[in-house]
Amino acid sequence: MNAYSLAPLLLLFPAIGVLFNGLIGRRFVEADAKVGERWSGWFASLMAIGSFVIAVLLFLSLQANEFQAMIVPIIDWISIPSANFYIPWAIRVDTLSVTMMLVVTGVGSLIHIYAIGYMHGDPNFSRFFTYFSLFIFFMLILVSGSTYLVLFVGWEGVGLCSFLLISFWFDRTNAAGKAMNADAGRKAFIVNRVGDFGMILAMFLMFWAFRSLEFGAVFNTAVEMFEQGHVVEFGLFSAPIGTVLTAITALFLLGATGKSAQIPLYVWLPDAMAGPTPVSALIHAATMVTSGIYLIVRSNVLFELARESGPVIFGVISTPDLVAYVGAFTGLLAGLIAFTQFDIKKVLAYSTVSQLGFMIAAAGMGAYVAAMFHLVTHAFFKALLFLGSGSVIHGMEHGHHHLHEHTHDDHHGDGHHEEAPFDPQDMRTMGGLRHKMPTTFWVYLVGALALSGIPPLAGFWSKDEILAHGNEHALVVYVILAIAAVCTAFYMGRQLHMTFFGEPRHAAAEHAQESPRLMTTPLIVLAGLAIVGGLLNLPYLTQAMAEANHNHPAGIFLGLEGWLEHSIKSFELSEEGILHLPHTPIVLSPVVAGISTLLAVLALGGAFYVYRNKPETAADPDPLQKLKPLWWFRILPFETFYMKFIVPPFNWLANWLAFAVDWNFWHDFVHNNLIRDMFVSFATFLADVFDKFGVDGTVNGIGSVTKGLAGGIRRTQTGFARTYALGVFLGAVALLAYFLWVLY
Amino acid sequence: MPEVTIDWYIALSVILFTIGSLGVLLRRNAIIVFMSVEMMLNSANLAFVAFARHLGDLDGQVLVFFVITVAAAEVAVGLALIVAIFRTKKSINIDEMNLLKG
Amino acid sequence: MGNPIIFLLLAIVAIGAAVGMLTSHNAVHSALYLVLNFVTIGVFYITLNAPFIAMVQITVYAGAIMVLFLFVIMLLGAEQLRGVTDVKGGERVHRAVAGLLAAVLLLASALLLFQSDAPEIAAAAIDTSPTALGLRLFAGYVFPFEVTGVLLLAAMIGVFVFSKTKKRGQDA
Repeated sequence: MNAYSLAPLLLLFPAIGVLFNGLIGRRFVEADAKVGERWSGWFASLMAIGSFVIAVLLFLSLQANEFQAMIVPIIDWISIPSANFYIPWAIRVDTLSVTMMLVVTGVGSLIHIYAIGYMHGDPNFSRFFTYFSLFIFFMLILVSGSTYLVLFVGWEGVGLCSFLLISFWFDRTNAAGKAMNADAGRKAFIVNRVGDFGMILAMFLMFWAFRSLEFGAVFNTAVEMFEQGHVVEFGLFSAPIGTVLTAITALFLLGATGKSAQIPLYVWLPDAMAGPTPVSALIHAATMVTSGIYLIVRSNVLFELARESGPVIFGVISTPDLVAYVGAFTGLLAGLIAFTQFDIKKVLAYSTVSQLGFMIAAAGMGAYVAAMFHLVTHAFFKALLFLGSGSVIHGMEHGHHHLHEHTHDDHHGDGHHEEAPFDPQDMRTMGGLRHKMPTTFWVYLVGALALSGIPPLAGFWSKDEILAHGNEHALVVYVILAIAAVCTAFYMGRQLHMTFFGEPRHAAAEHAQESPRLMTTPLIVLAGLAIVGGLLNLPYLTQAMAEANHNHPAGIFLGLEGWLEHSIKSFELSEEGILHLPHTPIVLSPVVAGISTLLAVLALGGAFYVYRNKPETAADPDPLQKLKPLWWFRILPFETFYMKFIVPPFNWLANWLAFAVDWNFWHDFVHNNLIRDMFVSFATFLADVFDKFGVDGTVNGIGSVTKGLAGGIRRTQTGFARTYALGVFLGAVALLAYFLWVLY
Repeated sequence: MPEVTIDWYIALSVILFTIGSLGVLLRRNAIIVFMSVEMMLNSANLAFVAFARHLGDLDGQVLVFFVITVAAAEVAVGLALIVAIFRTKKSINIDEMNLLKG
Repeated sequence: MGNPIIFLLLAIVAIGAAVGMLTSHNAVHSALYLVLNFVTIGVFYITLNAPFIAMVQITVYAGAIMVLFLFVIMLLGAEQLRGVTDVKGGERVHRAVAGLLAAVLLLASALLLFQSDAPEIAAAAIDTSPTALGLRLFAGYVFPFEVTGVLLLAAMIGVFVFSKTKKRGQDA
């Protein structure tokens, strides 16, 4: 039996999970919260683990089949023979998609298990796991689809799940009574629409130009057309293929900036932290937000062709370069904003935006493998950090709860902090948690160091590969990213210190407790992955293995570089056309690595120095507030811009459209005056003239004519048998006369 | 002395047929109308037999045999009908049997 | 086909009887005229070399059927119709049309007959005895013969149904 044919199970397992929790999970939880939660949570988790097992089997099948990409058909989705338009729903099993599947299902399974502990006691426990399974389902559709349209189905599906999960606690309001969670969900959805618009346009263009949306067909046609210097006709216009490819890839970039939270559409991701922490970990750190990177890496052929077409966008820049700069600037900007955040999850959110910027920049520079490598390691340590922060929040809430009961029982202590709204996510209220939550502290430390790029943790290797590539190919990008990396180390140092070191600044922090085993076990597993994740693509190791297996380099796993080589073809344009090049792994550059390590250590140390004994109480100002320009970033540059300059005119336009155009003009004038009056007069004409004289006249006329005729004919029916006999006789004589006439 | 040919018989048949049909058309007594019908059948029979003689073929006579049989059945049913009608209408005036009047 | 004088004499008798039937005001007279007419026609059958048909004509028609007629007339007492002396305008038109049509029929037939100059066919001397007729009947007309039997049966049942007197208390 071929393991490839198991591929549909990959999608079937989460679908079963959705059905189970969506249809009957709630009954279980309502019947018996304790047992029901176990059923609901573990069923969803087992489905995710099942998908993971299938992904591993696909991985092994690829190993055994020389990494040959395989299309496993499910159904013919769209089939229009007359237009020669076929979109099959098929699963594309190749090294790139399997990498994504393993990340999604592997990290997803761990976070599922964690969420069983984290969501304990929530009244909508089964609804949460319904959405979670639905997310896994759509994410797998996204990464496994063999055409852009199926990818887009997953793309929209994960967007939906993101919306549902961000606003999971849609009934929660903030102090001002605004439904912040629901607003955050809507914001994410609306901002993502902008990117999806780009995706749709890109697919239209692509289908127009290449007459297909299937990955392999599109790439082959694109390369062929590019070699021939094809000109694409758009009715009256025509454009060379390079321009078309640039447009397509630029629109893909727009889609990626939406989904992967890049400038200018990153604004939704920090707000998305309103959702439950496992959601932030899985969707808004590890998997969904990386789908933009997946899209670019998947379309690497198109991006490389766009690079070869030269600076087409305003004659200044080519799409991949634009991608690289967008990524780099996002990385830096988000890193700077992260300095100014007090919410433990917001810091991580901006950190995610920043790290996604690294990946986008890497993809833009053509370092697709490095982008995927960072994607994988980032999934490990950012999921770890988010889950760790969730554990911290859980501990703080527990402490606050304990405190509340304590004061309530003993009737002493200062009651005013009871009334003050307590935010368990505010880092200013934390401090000293390393003693209270040792496991969380250690794993969090691993995650923070990995993110900061301290060797030999996973983040160091992947980030350094990007930096090394930038150093070699794009110096400006390299410099920006290096500064962003310093920022990363600094804000992680700040967060570590504010959270875990120093003295507790709030009574809740004093009573914080370690989270249950169900939550810490996934953390430990992820910490292990964050430590050894670098092995996936260790520079010297992969090079040595490639040399050792020179005769059959495809035969065994050679790290991500050799593994992804089968999905990401490298080539360059020459006089003879497209030349396919052998993949040359980037070797670790000691200088770059040394500099970045040194900077990271210095930044961490600097952070610890700056915050060595500050803030002392929760109300103390942040030491960095002396640096006024830095705090400008706190007002969220793009967010402010949108709220000041885009949203008001949009609202005004919407109001104008709604009240002036739609209500006054359209309803009152067009509907009432034009359409209704015309209709009424027309109807009057029909009723009074046409119907009364025309239709009724015709019908009555026919009736009276028939009646008159019948009255006339009726008189022939005298009922006298002799009259009828006379008629018969007349007929006989007439016949005779006729024969006579015929004869003579 | 002229020879009696088939034409003579046909002419006689036509005359009897016409008289019969006039009886059907003019008389109002249902029984006489019926008798006129019988006479029309007889004139047809006469023509049949004359043709059989003329053509030297027995089939004409066989046909007459059938006609007589059918006529006998018809008379039986018809007279029963007249009797039934007379019972309800107390009259056999054919002009009073005008239930078919439209 | 026989002596023209006899033919003419018989024809005059037949036509006279027919006219008598047509014009008699008494139905019994009409029936007796018709019997005369039928007998005359039976004589014609003999001259036409159809003895069996002639016998059937006399016994069935002139005998059985006409007795039935007379029987019914006398049963109903319908020798004369009551109160039919008035002749309205509609009746006059009816009579005129009928007469006209009869005249046309006669004229057209006469035209046809006088125009025909078909040569006499020398009729073969065939056997027209009742035996020959019976053989012919059963050789070639078995099925119609059977159907005739069914017809007579049906007529018989029909007559039973029509002449059945309704029991008291049963309307319509």
